[in-house]
Amino acid sequence: MRSTINAVPTTNSLLKKSKLPFALIIQPYTSLHDEESPVPLVSDTVISRCRRCRSYINPYVTFLDHGHRWRCNMCNLTNDVPQAFDWDNAQGKQVDRWQRPELNYSVVEFIAPQEYMVRPPQPLVYLFLLDVSFAAVQSGLLATSARTILESLDRIPNADKRTRLGFICVDSALHYFCMTSDSLEPNMLVVSDLEEPFLPIPGDLLVPLDECREAIENLLGKLQDMFHNTQNGGNCMGSALKSAHKLISPIGGKIVVLTASLPTLGAGKLELREDKKLLGTSKESGLLQTANSFYKSFAVECSKSQVSVDMFLFSASYQDVASLSNLPRYTGGQTYFYPGWSAARSEDAFKFAKEFSDHLSAEIALEAVMRVRATTGLRMSTFYGNFFNRSSDLCAFPAFPRDQGYVVEVAIDEALGKSFVCMQTAVLHTTCNGERRIRVMTLALPTTQNLADVYAGADQVAITTFFSHKAVEKVLSGGGLDAARDALQSKLIELMVTYRKELTGGAVGGGLGGLQFSSNLRGLVVLFLALIKHVGLRKTAQIPTDLRSAALCLLSTLPATLLIQYIHPRFYSLHDMPEYCGLPHPETGEIVLPQPINLSSERLLLHGLYLIDDGQTQFLWVGGQAVPALIQDVFGVPGIEHVKVGKTTMRVVEESQMNERVRNVIEKSRDKRGRNVGSVVVPNLYVVRGDGEPSLRMWAGTMLIEDRSDGGLSMQQWLGMLREKVSA
Amino acid sequence: MELEHLKDQWSLIEDTDGVRLSWNVIPSSRLEASRLVVPIGVLYTPLKEKTENSVVQYEPVACKAPCRAVLNPYCTVDVRAKLWICPFCLQRNALPPHYKDIGPSSWPLELSPGFSTIEYKLARPAPAPPIFLFVVDTCQEEDSLKALKDSLIMSLSLLPSTTLVGLITYGTMAQVHELGYTECAKSYVFRGNKDYTAKQVQEMLGLLAPGVRPQGALVMPGQHPQQRMNPSSRFLLPVQQCEIELTNALEQLQKDPWPVANDKRPLRCTGVAMSVAVGLLETSFQNTGARIMLFAGGPSTEGPGLVVGPELREPIRSHHDIERDNIKYYKKAVKFYDTLAKRTANNGHIIDIFAGCLDQVGLLEMKSLANSTGGHMILTDSFTSSMFRQSFVKIFDKDAQDNLLMGFNASLEVLTTKELKVTGLIGHAISMNKKSTSVGETECGIGNTCSWKMCGITPTTSVATYFEVTTQAGPVQHQQQGPQKALIQFLTYYQHSSGQFHLRVTTIGRDLSGPAGDPSIAHSFDQETAAVLMARIAVFKAEVDDGPDVLRWVDRMLIRLCSRFADYRKDDPSSFRLEKNFTLYPQFMFHLRRSQFLQVFNNSPDETAFYRHVLNREDVGNSLIMIQPTLDSYTFDQPSRPVLLDSTSIQPNHILLLDTFFHILIFHGETIAEWRKIGYQDQEGYENFKELLEAPKEDARELIGDRFPLPRFIVCDAGGSQARFLLSKLNPSTTHQGTTWGGVPQNAQTIFTDDVSLQTFMEHLMK
Ligand SMILES: [Zn+2]
Ligand SMILES: [Zn+2]
Repeated sequence: MRSTINAVPTTNSLLKKSKLPFALIIQPYTSLHDEESPVPLVSDTVISRCRRCRSYINPYVTFLDHGHRWRCNMCNLTNDVPQAFDWDNAQGKQVDRWQRPELNYSVVEFIAPQEYMVRPPQPLVYLFLLDVSFAAVQSGLLATSARTILESLDRIPNADKRTRLGFICVDSALHYFCMTSDSLEPNMLVVSDLEEPFLPIPGDLLVPLDECREAIENLLGKLQDMFHNTQNGGNCMGSALKSAHKLISPIGGKIVVLTASLPTLGAGKLELREDKKLLGTSKESGLLQTANSFYKSFAVECSKSQVSVDMFLFSASYQDVASLSNLPRYTGGQTYFYPGWSAARSEDAFKFAKEFSDHLSAEIALEAVMRVRATTGLRMSTFYGNFFNRSSDLCAFPAFPRDQGYVVEVAIDEALGKSFVCMQTAVLHTTCNGERRIRVMTLALPTTQNLADVYAGADQVAITTFFSHKAVEKVLSGGGLDAARDALQSKLIELMVTYRKELTGGAVGGGLGGLQFSSNLRGLVVLFLALIKHVGLRKTAQIPTDLRSAALCLLSTLPATLLIQYIHPRFYSLHDMPEYCGLPHPETGEIVLPQPINLSSERLLLHGLYLIDDGQTQFLWVGGQAVPALIQDVFGVPGIEHVKVGKTTMRVVEESQMNERVRNVIEKSRDKRGRNVGSVVVPNLYVVRGDGEPSLRMWAGTMLIEDRSDGGLSMQQWLGMLREKVSA
Repeated sequence: MELEHLKDQWSLIEDTDGVRLSWNVIPSSRLEASRLVVPIGVLYTPLKEKTENSVVQYEPVACKAPCRAVLNPYCTVDVRAKLWICPFCLQRNALPPHYKDIGPSSWPLELSPGFSTIEYKLARPAPAPPIFLFVVDTCQEEDSLKALKDSLIMSLSLLPSTTLVGLITYGTMAQVHELGYTECAKSYVFRGNKDYTAKQVQEMLGLLAPGVRPQGALVMPGQHPQQRMNPSSRFLLPVQQCEIELTNALEQLQKDPWPVANDKRPLRCTGVAMSVAVGLLETSFQNTGARIMLFAGGPSTEGPGLVVGPELREPIRSHHDIERDNIKYYKKAVKFYDTLAKRTANNGHIIDIFAGCLDQVGLLEMKSLANSTGGHMILTDSFTSSMFRQSFVKIFDKDAQDNLLMGFNASLEVLTTKELKVTGLIGHAISMNKKSTSVGETECGIGNTCSWKMCGITPTTSVATYFEVTTQAGPVQHQQQGPQKALIQFLTYYQHSSGQFHLRVTTIGRDLSGPAGDPSIAHSFDQETAAVLMARIAVFKAEVDDGPDVLRWVDRMLIRLCSRFADYRKDDPSSFRLEKNFTLYPQFMFHLRRSQFLQVFNNSPDETAFYRHVLNREDVGNSLIMIQPTLDSYTFDQPSRPVLLDSTSIQPNHILLLDTFFHILIFHGETIAEWRKIGYQDQEGYENFKELLEAPKEDARELIGDRFPLPRFIVCDAGGSQARFLLSKLNPSTTHQGTTWGGVPQNAQTIFTDDVSLQTFMEHLMK
């Protein structure tokens, strides 16, 4: 949990005056699996909460009355301390309350007692909707999906042996599979009646992984053969989703959609509405919104019945990501986009299989709600992220992922009298092993009446994250791309004007080429430029709608660390990196990365080798005049004309240290674990030659955001514009 | 003796031509005909198995259009002019070139007098082998379902290997099994509560899609490429090819998995299952022989065509409910099945209904499915019963050439010479709405056409055809040798189970009567045939009219017939005399009135539908048994003998054998029953008793042997509860006040009540 400002103004007017946003960036999990980031656990089900504001006891409370009572740090009410804090009834002995994790850690997890359950903890359920239309079978999606699921069966969390799986294959009809523990052969039931979803049989469609393992394996092994002759070009994914919902809703769980075509039949059918002529115009933002209300209303249905949807999209042509991504957006799921994917390309197959398998292995939580409480006077006003905002301050997550971040805007309703304020996020959830738990995160921040403190405590990463969410929100709600970009630019100017007027007394000149800004916020200048020029927001007629929609999904879900990289890629010069780079650090053993350099093509030397990495895509840039020795070392080919451009996997060149170091850098740059974020993403690696394929060069070039490109300002122009506006 | 001679002659004709007529001399004027009361009718068995081989392998020679009559022994052939004159339209036709050498010494078969019935094996092959589509109800108890599965699996071995087979199962929903799919069991599921249109069914089964790519592995040597490409071939495959898949699918069949509450009937979507079955065949196999065999374990309770709601407290409709119009679903269901039946018949397909249920399954509502398509109706208590098993097996009987004894996609056309017009047909057929000069003005049964579609036809299928005389004046006597004849030609065109189309032609000629009042007409009256033809009309009427109206009609017709043909003195009932060939007719009518065909209240609506169905397909002999059951008596030291259907026939030391066609019952008189209980038959010295017990059983076995559907076999004792089957058939002449049914008074009067009532009729008439 981090805040955009680390010194909280005591009054709303001061906050307003600062023009800074007050928002919390929340990332409840830091890895896909518990063992990689253990959190202190309170397992005795003794949970002490404030009687009035329902806050959980935390390290910032004060004990009164000889420790018999505690004063709530949020609302000041005094509450009784539970007996069990000092006395263990079971053991019949005194215990030291100060050993309790909730009084020692800002992040703890409680095992919830009975009263936190509306019903017995649900099992983990994965219901796969597999596209089996011609496009999906032809591209190898079906085969790869089936194989990946098959190979991931042991990775899917199933410690309590209650995990259930189900499969529905979808083309112009729905193909259900009835599996039992005593029959190896699956029984395929085809439903072509799409009008009103119905289940062909009352049971055996969602089966326990453990008991029906053989039948499941048998089915997955056969799926490709079952459909390899198909000529069916239909896709009724909307109807499939409705049917899947019918099947899964009594329990709740995950619907995982893997599809390679536009759903053109049945419920929620979509049209090929993308018109290249509209791209780059004001009409473009219409394409970024939902084409069929089904995807919103159905998502709400899903949320109500604890059903979460993940979308894995693979179409080679328009698939309407904008509409389809609504389902993950409101149900705590995620949209994964693999444009033009083909299993025939080993990179594609590997990337998807790895990501999908990791996704399935993630220890997601179920039936979760998140609520943020804060010191009296503060109010959570707006929530951003993939969930359904069920009531004013309650966010519902049928499934709680481990690789997403959330943003909550905070309002100051009353003057804050205390020297510090607290904010507490509680996520009540069921673990995938059937345990009801509450993860509680508490953050305390000092208050101030001084604008300078507010500025000094501002967090540019958190601020960029907040505005990134706001920009996406603006685009998706129909505000338009232009307006979103303009708002970002105005905000930055406003902040700089405020800073100049209020804190420097209007002085001109200074660090940023004549611009004055708080040193801890200087990054905003480049981050905002990067955001405005990001694929999700950039003004251009070159970005297919689906690509843009997918980017917007990432902009609104990535945890801050990854989000910043996604906006502002890392750029490494490799040909001249110091000798110790690309090799393990003598002490930590971690690969040492070179210093990142400015995202400017001025840095690209004709004989150089560079890595540009935004976390989703990596470009290995080879200068057009790279010397044969370097080429030989890195690629194992005699000269640049032999280097194959495009999507690739770095091959090992025996006895070449340079090759190993480059590979190490690429690998290390991908590593998320070391950065305390969960992520399944395996970036695509493209080799770009300075003298090669222009479109690829252009694409990589768009990441060098300090350059002038495609109507976007260069860093110099940007600064000039800012200077002009700020001093005006 | 003349009557006996005539009867022999009629029987001979029945053997060769499969026809029996109510009147064997045709009145030569309309006036005369109108006084006959019983219409001129022919009960025709088109595929009657013939002793001598009369199947020829060449094309028939037909008259010019629109007549199209086929060359027959009644044609006049001018060998020298190479011409033949059609007796129906009197047109001259050239003989085909290859007939140039015919002459009295070498007539082609169809011109030989002995070949008034001839069958042509046509050069036209059927577009596909016969198709059998099983539609199986899975809402059944395990044992019943198991027995049914066994029967079905066994039947696969009875089908010729090229026969196409398919499977649809249903319960709460209907499933079409894709037998051609080899990766795993696969079926298409249709919801049970939705009325799917034909197009929807076809779309949903992917039959309209431009094609599943043929799978190399499925190509069988010698298969026609079109057949392979046929999208339906995923569902309907040669039995030799899919026997394993189908057997597996059948073995895997389980009771419908949807839960059923204690106070509910299982949901059973018979209507949807049937409509899907019809739709499946409709696309790709129109006018190709096919049987849809429905195996219903209970009434439809879901979707279109439901006959009773799922609530158990709601009883299924009875005759009383129908009479009082207290019927919630009846009309809608009938309409649904009638529409489906019409579609099926138009496609040339057959629907058989096998009911295996103690309760009703809705046969009444569904009856048109079988009645319009020439399908079978088999009504049994359970699929575990031998009655079902054996009846089912019998359907697959084969001839000497190992061809199934059934014809497919059949049509019947009737041609007449100008004196006669056909007024209709009563039997399992629908009108093909073909108009011709042979079509009469009035209508009897399914009329206003000279052609009917029968879809399914077997060697015993018999249809009743009715005719009227249109000639206004008496015959103009030409200077010709012998009396003039009226001719009828029956053309039965059908897909033989061997895969070829056949045309069977029966041409019959009957003398026209002489001048008005010619007694030969009365002499030519075949009272048995007349009774059966009248029974069919009565039943046909009963389907639309109220019961009492029909009874009154039967009475009226009887009275009119008697008043026309009986000999009596006014005011003296005892003087009443009928010619020998009329004497039994009133008796037949008496029993018809009392029969389950017209007195429905002792039976369920389903039973009524079943009985009427069977009556409408049997020949004269079998129909007569249904109308007037036979009763034989067995006692010591006497050969068995037929006895009167009267309670007086019950004697303590007699065994009775009752045959109602539907039931075969052995009744042990009081003493016999007692001895049997004691077990004398197993003791030495009582061999004659043992023999006596065996004799009726032996005879019963013989009766059951070639009966279809298998009759219910009942063995009962005097005083036993099963005896009511017998008692309900007997004339209650011994009913006196104070005499109970069980008791058997020795010297009871033996007066026929029908005689009495007949006397009464006469008295009424004479007044
Ligand atoms: Zn409180
Ligand atoms: Zn003619």
